[in-house]
Amino acid sequence: MTDDASRLQRKLKTAAYLLITGLVVEGISLYWSHPMSFLVFIVLGGILLTAGIVTYLIAIVTH
Amino acid sequence: MANYAVATVIVLSIILIGLLLIRPSITAAQGGKIVAFIAFFILPIVATVLGASIHLENSKSTQFCLSCHVMGPYGKSLFRDDPTYVPAAHFQNNRIPKDQACFTCHTHYTMFGDLNSKMRGLQHLYAYYLKPIPNKVQLYKPFENRECLHCHAGARSFEETTPHKEMKEQLTDNQMSCLTCHNKIHDVANIDKAKQWKGPGT
Repeated sequence: MTDDASRLQRKLKTAAYLLITGLVVEGISLYWSHPMSFLVFIVLGGILLTAGIVTYLIAIVTH
Repeated sequence: MANYAVATVIVLSIILIGLLLIRPSITAAQGGKIVAFIAFFILPIVATVLGASIHLENSKSTQFCLSCHVMGPYGKSLFRDDPTYVPAAHFQNNRIPKDQACFTCHTHYTMFGDLNSKMRGLQHLYAYYLKPIPNKVQLYKPFENRECLHCHAGARSFEETTPHKEMKEQLTDNQMSCLTCHNKIHDVANIDKAKQWKGPGT
């Protein structure tokens, strides 16, 4: 595997972990009926998903 | 139903991302790249949009409003055994949906009323967690007749009764508040002394 390819894989892995964590956080917040649940969904879940998507996009654009 | 839809999107997304984590070589093929794009980009966005709309819908529920303990006495006031109290009479006689009792009267019936209500809700969170809770909870703005007239305007019980008939214009123009006469509202200061209705679902 070339350096370029392994760098891509590394970035995709980071994006994958961020997205999975973000999706799990969002999923849990949907079953939690409390005013804080929306904040957890949008702030924590949203940041993790945005970071994951941005990492993924950077990975494919710079590859 | 909507919860299942978003749960399906989340699970599908996690499965596809997991698959790409275990077998990254899939992305070498054209089809794999498309799957990766769907899993890493499309599905998380769909999950977030669907999830946000579910959260907005959930936040209209009576249970949601009463989950902050400061709202407890207001919830109790819905069960006051006295029909002269406006919230109790509305709640106990199904004039408002029981599962959206607070929201039905405390939203703004305007184009962006729901959104405005939710923004005020975020202010409540800020006040609840980061500021001392005031002894007396007050509305940010005086209660608008529009919120009452959203249901009552056009109803025979409103249109044909005195004094509504005579002062309809004043009420519609908000020159006189409905609460001037219908002034028995939550009265939480005396809620523990009040007799409680033991109806279904209490």
